[in-house]
Parts: sequence; structure tokens; C-alpha cells
Amino acid sequence: MNFASLIGVEWGKLRRSKIFLILVLATVILWTPSVLNSELNFGMQAEGISPENNFFIQGFLAMTWFLFPAVMIVITVLQIQTERTDHGILKMLSLPVRTTKLCMAKFAVLVLFAAIQILMSVGTYYISAAVASHIQSYDFLLPPLFVFREAGMIWASSIPMLAVFWLLAVCIQTPIFSIGTGLASIVPSVLMINTKAWFAYPMAYPFFVITSEYGRLAANFSTAEIDLIPWLPTAALITAACLTVSCLRFGQAERR
Amino acid sequence: MIVSLECKKLKRTGFKAAFFGGGILAAAVPALNMAFRSEAYLSMDAPPVKILLNANWQMMAMLNVLLIVAGACILYHIEYADHAIRKMRTLPFSESAVFFGKTAVLVSACILLLAIEAASIFGCSVHWFGPAAGLYREILKNFGFFLLLMLPAILLSLAAASVCRNMWTALGTGVVCVFAATMIPAQNFALSLFPFALPFRTFSDLSGSAARNYAIAGAAETVGAAALAILILKIRRSFE
Repeated sequence: MNFASLIGVEWGKLRRSKIFLILVLATVILWTPSVLNSELNFGMQAEGISPENNFFIQGFLAMTWFLFPAVMIVITVLQIQTERTDHGILKMLSLPVRTTKLCMAKFAVLVLFAAIQILMSVGTYYISAAVASHIQSYDFLLPPLFVFREAGMIWASSIPMLAVFWLLAVCIQTPIFSIGTGLASIVPSVLMINTKAWFAYPMAYPFFVITSEYGRLAANFSTAEIDLIPWLPTAALITAACLTVSCLRFGQAERR
Repeated sequence: MIVSLECKKLKRTGFKAAFFGGGILAAAVPALNMAFRSEAYLSMDAPPVKILLNANWQMMAMLNVLLIVAGACILYHIEYADHAIRKMRTLPFSESAVFFGKTAVLVSACILLLAIEAASIFGCSVHWFGPAAGLYREILKNFGFFLLLMLPAILLSLAAASVCRNMWTALGTGVVCVFAATMIPAQNFALSLFPFALPFRTFSDLSGSAARNYAIAGAAETVGAAALAILILKIRRSFE
């Protein structure tokens, strides 16, 4: 079985899980306050950011700080629980497929879900920006090239974080610990982005990317710049380490 | 009887350890904050408990609410995994008795959580601000208020967990509710009555009448959530 069809199998397992309902609900809750409070975007002269940029960045700040990582944890729970219910994992392990491949296919689906969630947020952003433009008679819409570049950056920077969440889900057998550790690890990311060691904390990466973008767009508000040099090697190292360990540990409890 | 049964079922799920660990983590927040940035807080002119809670409670409350959601999911997950709930239904307990047994367990876990946090606030305030008269009373009042405002969230997340056969549905709903709570502006009283937003309010930051309003709202929502949970369980029972 090649890798693409394995991803197809993993995707098929989640198709009927109604996870999309939760994703839609989350994005609607994310953007509704932005539309309702759209007049606040005009009072940001002190920061020196234009109303349309502020509208965009505030929504994505709220998304990357809590919603996006938390929903990703829910998806890891979904993936692991789907296999454990009625011992589905035993049937998967009996197939002539290497467990490493199986583990990576599941991780690929997780990365795919991250992309879907971000794209849904972009879609809802355009809808809500159009509604806000209509209410305020001011053009809130930003060029798609810029919006998609930001979305792509969030997605790429979230991969190390997803690898850590996947490691937690695979290695910690007790569900409350894998969920609790994951959720608790999101909370300090607000503090971590203000320290010099932000690049060592994968859970803060997407939030850091958007915060530093905020600093770039707001003339009078400075935030930390992205330094690619300690960041990229550290992120690559963390991702590789997490994926290696999770591939080694995947299905080990069931094979014993 | 039902509560001791629930406690027995929680063995090896890591429930107690998770709440204990969560409490330690939340307790570390004010201690670390004071250790690194004590000058900024020591120069403020306000009662120590108020300074400490203003600086740290948002993060501590976030940890508390997330633990409540995760704990509620686990409490019902042990029933749905391997169809244990079917065996429970054959026992001479009503389903709402099981629900309130679980509520009692989660409330006691939250009391443990709040006790650890209160000890940390007490320690920080004595260590950095020096002993003060009436500190016990102030802390007890604040944490009693927190417990009352947590009850609606506890009951509702348990109700969600009891409805959802799959743990991730309850967890997803809980996470979305917590996120909605973080988006609610504190100035808007009507919106801040959202059950998952209540645990973020602090007693020392509110005026007497506002605190009373929140306490009444917390009590009313607790009764409402309990009634809703009983109703949901009854309706579901009649369909299964």
C-alpha cells in the first residue's frame, strides 16, 4: 500500500466524525466578535496600523493563540480514540504495512487538518470582512496574495507544534495526561513569545509569527523580529525528534 | 455510595494526578511571575491579594477551566469506553444519580485545585508583601467566589460529556466554549454571564454590588445547568 492511499484510508476514518461541525463552529465564534466590533478598528491610530490590517491581524491573533492549537489537540484525540475504540488499531497493525508508515500517514492527516482549519479561517475572514465593509462603508478586504502568504506562514510554522502534539498523543497512553499536557502547554505561549527563548517552544511558533507580523504592520508598535537562524534549525530538530520517537512508539502498547 | 464508586472507577485514569499536577502548575504561575517581575508589582498601591490575582488569575483560570473540561471528558469516557455504561444502567441507580456522583467528584477535585492555588497566593503574598491582617479572610472570600463561579462550567461540561459518546466531541465543544469565553469582553455584564466566562472574574476586582450580582448569577446558572442536565438525561433515556 503506498503512502497516498494510506493517507486516504486515514482520512476516510475521520470523514464521518462530524469534526467539521466543530471546525465551522470555532471559526464562526472566532470572526463574529470582529464583525460586531468592527468600528473599534478605526481607533488604532496610536499603534499606527490601518483598520483593514487591524481587522485581519486581530482575528488571526485570537486564532493562533488558543483556538488553532486547541482544535489540533482535539483532532489528535479524535485520531487516537478512533483507533482505540473497539481495538481498531489491532486490525491496522495486522496489515502488511510498516507502523512507521501508518504513524506518518496519521501525522500527514493532522497536518492536512491544520491546513483545512487555516483555510476555513481565511474563508470566514473574507466573508466577515465583506460584511464589516458593508456595515462600516469602508473597504476591509485585503489582497488575497497577502492573506494567503500569512496563512501559509501560520501553517508552516505550526508543523513543529503538531509534531509535539502528535508525540504527546502517541506516547502518553492515559488520555487525561495527553489532553491535559497539550492544553496546558498552550497557555504559557503568551509568556514565551516575549522571552529570548521563544524559538525553543514550538507551541508558540504560529502565535509568534502573527505577533511579529503585527509589529511589522503597526508603525508605532514594535515586536520581536523573526530570526531564522536559531529558529529554523531548532524547529527542524524538534520536529524530527518528535516524529522519530512517535514512529518508534506507535502501536507499541498494543503489540506487547 | 455512588461517590465512592465513582472514585474507585477513577483509579488508573490519572484523574487525581492530573488535577494535582494542574494545581501545582497553576500555583507556579504567581510564584514565577513574582520571582521575575517583583519590582513592577511591589510598587503598586493596592492590597496584595488584588495585585496577585489581577496579574495572574486570567492564566490560572484558563488552566482551571481547561482541566474542568478535560476532567469531565474523562469522567464520562470511562463509561463509554468498552460500553461500561450498559453495566451501570443495570445497577439500581438512576442516571442522574450517576451524573451527580460525577459532579461531586469533579467539584472535590476543583476544591483541591483551588486549595493549592490559594496556598500559592497566600505564600506569595506573605513572602513578597509581608504578613497582613485579614489575609486569610481575603483569600477565603476570593476562592469561595471562584468555586461558586466554577460550578456552572463544571455542570455544563459534564452534561456535554454525558451526551457525547465520543470523548473528542465533548472535548471539542468544551474547547470551543472556553475559546468563546476568552473572546468575551469583561465590561459587558450580560455577555460575561456566559458560564465558561464566569471563572475568569475575580472577587477583589469587583465592587460589592457587582460581586453580589455575579454570585447570584453563578448560583442561578448552577441550578439551571443542573436542571438542564437532568432533562437531557431523562430525554435520552426515553429514546434508548
